[in-house]
Amino acid sequence: MSGYDSALSIFSPDGHVFQVEYALEAVKRGTCAVGVKGKEIVVLACERRTTLKLQDPRITPSKINRIDKHVQLAFAGLNADARILIDKARIEAQSYKLTLEDPVTVEYLTRYVAGVQQRYTQSGGTRPFGISTLIAGFDPNDKTPRLYQTEPSGIYSAWKANAIGRSSKTVREFLEKNYEKEKDLSDEETIKLSIKGLLEVVQTGAKNIEISIIKPEETRSMTNEEIEKIVKEIEDEKAAEAEKKKPKKKD
Amino acid sequence: MEVVLGIRAKDGVILATSKAFTRGISVLKATDDKTRILNDYNILGFTGEGGDTTQFADYIQANIQLSTMREGTELNSKAIASYVRYELAKSLRTRKPFQVNVMLAGLDKREEPFLSLIDYLGTRVDLPYAAHGYAAFYTMSLLDRHYTPDISVEDGLKLLDMCEKELVKRFPMEFKGLLVKVVDKKGIRVVKGNE
Amino acid sequence: MSRRYDSRTTIFSPEGRLYQVEYALEAINHAGTAIGVLAKDGVVLAAERKVTSKLLEQDTSAEKMYLLNDNTLCAVAGMTADAGILINYMRNSAQGYLKVYNQDIPIETLVRRVCDVKQGYTQHGGLRPFGVSFIFAGYDDRYGFQLYTSNPSGNYSGWKAASIGANNSSAQTLLKQDYKDDISFDEAKKLALKVLSKTTDSSKLASDKVEFATVLLKDKAPVLKIWKPAEIDKLLEESGVLEESKDDDN
Repeated sequence: MSGYDSALSIFSPDGHVFQVEYALEAVKRGTCAVGVKGKEIVVLACERRTTLKLQDPRITPSKINRIDKHVQLAFAGLNADARILIDKARIEAQSYKLTLEDPVTVEYLTRYVAGVQQRYTQSGGTRPFGISTLIAGFDPNDKTPRLYQTEPSGIYSAWKANAIGRSSKTVREFLEKNYEKEKDLSDEETIKLSIKGLLEVVQTGAKNIEISIIKPEETRSMTNEEIEKIVKEIEDEKAAEAEKKKPKKKD
Repeated sequence: MEVVLGIRAKDGVILATSKAFTRGISVLKATDDKTRILNDYNILGFTGEGGDTTQFADYIQANIQLSTMREGTELNSKAIASYVRYELAKSLRTRKPFQVNVMLAGLDKREEPFLSLIDYLGTRVDLPYAAHGYAAFYTMSLLDRHYTPDISVEDGLKLLDMCEKELVKRFPMEFKGLLVKVVDKKGIRVVKGNE
Repeated sequence: MSRRYDSRTTIFSPEGRLYQVEYALEAINHAGTAIGVLAKDGVVLAAERKVTSKLLEQDTSAEKMYLLNDNTLCAVAGMTADAGILINYMRNSAQGYLKVYNQDIPIETLVRRVCDVKQGYTQHGGLRPFGVSFIFAGYDDRYGFQLYTSNPSGNYSGWKAASIGANNSSAQTLLKQDYKDDISFDEAKKLALKVLSKTTDSSKLASDKVEFATVLLKDKAPVLKIWKPAEIDKLLEESGVLEESKDDDN
């Protein structure tokens, strides 16, 4: 109520840039997205807004977007803002390749996206982007999985596993507890962990999850059936665990 | 004095480009590739002013790939041909136009073999077989005589061999042989010349 | 007190909301309803025209249905003057694409382009958002018949059946009830009119209150049509929608 949040992006006396903080709130209102790095792959898993029965799944835009052959971006926050940022990233990816011949590295692209987001927090007459992103992929001629996050403020960071959007804190805590740092995750384990993480906040099961599996040479989305199978596995495991615990209590 | 030759067969398209990179009276390189892959089923061959050629082809390549990323689907051959022609026509009306002639080979909608000849003036013709520059003088008669619309890629390659022999025999320049690529249902592949 | 966050479009509220955009959406919720139904062999758009005065000339051209190019048309809900700007932009954009690629712009590409413009007006300074929602109907090679909606935030999505404007949630419920995945074009026409008649305030539908447009395929080419008042009256009669609504009244 101090008035330091009504002009676009200026400091308040105690050092806040309110518009940026409020933009983060917009991110928290967006659907959840999870990224997990395995030994050889990166997985992006997103909550799909409850598919209304009459929506046409063929032509409704997805939350996981391809930036270049080797880089994918998932977001949480305002859809329309994301589209604009994604387009800028795609142009940069091609433009980089046109001038330097090599495809962009994932870190470069992340830095670029974060840079754009930063600029919108400081230049006149614009509000910040109301989105956080997870950028995942592989550098050219490299087999190391990469996963980065950007925020409305323009901060970017590298992660083993992370979540953004609605209830991301719950998911992040889950991942912190269940990501075994010492052990490299196999492809299956990586996929499963990402789905498990998302299931912490998505109750409705497979039909509201979309997943992109990124490997050095190829990227593909999982089909609903595949996701369903894993969701069922997880549910069975949980049920079995609960079963195990019950008799113990009786003893 | 570069060679760009294309033959549209019933099951694919052949695109051949000379391997010599010349400057003035010297051959600087004998393994030049005068083509760019635009997407999974389309390639662009080019000749013209050195520098202009790569600048233009790289620019087209970047834009076609950007379009693939944005739309989540590939542009078909006819749309690409139209776009390339548009870019050349636009460039022609600037102070320093690109001096580039190109040939687009691809499978339109991943189905129909397609070959298009486009010159620096923005002239575009879709043809069953085509050649840019002087090479046309030595090869057109052979192509006119032996080409049939139902020719296969395999026979097309034999016809191309005849053309190459004729070029070696009559063409006054050393062009260091041809780099031959084929686009068919399986995608784009090099069939000859990258030894 | 909430005025602090809604007096300028480009500002987030402390909860991370964009009030100007939400108000624009609110404005559209009072505009005439528009409905779209995707059939396996065509697309139907129907819209309610609000008659404000008996003296208003009714035979002027359609206010809510617009042709965008050879394969796309749209219905508008909201501020017609704002819509005019965007429709002009889309028509230009579609011809620009045709000029470069010598083929019609894919529907989604066109929708995305106009939504990018709408988004811009929610982020950059000194502007208010566009007070318009659209329903787009069209046909292209990639996905066949398609139906999209877009709103002032710059979001868009694809639908089998959709509604915008006043009473859109009740219209949506009705559509959900009656829509079948293999619905035919003729059934779609009927469904659109039925839902429209049930959601509009006026008791009886007639050509002076309804606008109607369709997309069909003839000889592999899309045929777009904005229906004439006489044709609409005939359609209303044939469809039996009027009879049904009369029964409901009793």
